[in-house]
Amino acid sequence: MRFYTQSFLYDDPWSIVSLAYLLRYPNPYSTHILSCDVISREVTPSGSLLTTRLILKTGSLPRWAPKGMIQRGESWVLEESEVDPLGKVMRCTTKNLDHVKVMRVEEHIHIRQTADGKTLQTTEAMFMSGFGWGLTKKIENYGLAKFKANLQRSREGFAVILNLIRQSRMQPMTMGAPNSFLLSHRSHSAMESKPSTQHEAPGNDSGRDDARQGAPPARTGIWSRWKTWLRSG
Amino acid sequence: MSSSLAEECTPLKRKYDACFNAWFEGYLEPAVSASITPAQRTKFSQEKAAEFEQSCGQVWREYKDCVQRAVKEKGLDVLLDQARVENPLKEPPTDSRS
Repeated sequence: MRFYTQSFLYDDPWSIVSLAYLLRYPNPYSTHILSCDVISREVTPSGSLLTTRLILKTGSLPRWAPKGMIQRGESWVLEESEVDPLGKVMRCTTKNLDHVKVMRVEEHIHIRQTADGKTLQTTEAMFMSGFGWGLTKKIENYGLAKFKANLQRSREGFAVILNLIRQSRMQPMTMGAPNSFLLSHRSHSAMESKPSTQHEAPGNDSGRDDARQGAPPARTGIWSRWKTWLRSG
Repeated sequence: MSSSLAEECTPLKRKYDACFNAWFEGYLEPAVSASITPAQRTKFSQEKAAEFEQSCGQVWREYKDCVQRAVKEKGLDVLLDQARVENPLKEPPTDSRS
């Protein structure tokens, strides 16, 4: 078994980071996500939101993989999350459902508000192979290396969503449409959300930039920008 | 918003996602503080659930039915059941703040 852990501190308030986390797909860096569905969702008696999502991802196999080790280069991933807006904690666990004999990958994300109003995210990932044939270690190491390599990309994708939310918070409209759920405390949260440079996505490729320039900048909601990406992608 | 696993569910998914996201933004910023009593928590939960039901309940059920049908058709329900039995995810954390 191989482990990976990492922490990251955001200047943004917890509600914005948690919103971005749940809305992270699609983004310009998430072309490997083929589908994402909510299969169950409920508010618990204590006020937390439990969500189960089923996600289909594409992946590639290493060149040394034995023929027939995996039938197809797609994987179903189950994501279970709990959001507690009163305690300002969010937890999320993802794991693959198929190819589990070759390797199980489990990722645990924990997002909580710090005492000074910032947001701390911790990531833990586990890679477990039961494949045998002398390949167990090699498969686990490959899983870990691949995960680390993809981390930067997923961070950049997340940063795009985070920036969109920051921008939408600086306008009187929310997420591209008037939001009746937020009217009571909108002014308060608009003041909290100052833009942070910590997580700018560097080097957006030019195709994406063009797509963004094509859309009217200011009043465009987050949803229409997403649609622009979807069309261009 | 991304696609659904079944093409026929994607329009419902987009409608549902848009509705949910608007509700969720407000849900993440409760007007009440963290130091509330269990009774107030229950009240908060009921209010939020009712708010969601009123705005998104109908489209949620339509979308959920569509996806559940597709999950069965693709045999994914077997995969899901297996995952729950063989490798259950840890149960959700309880409120651990002091």
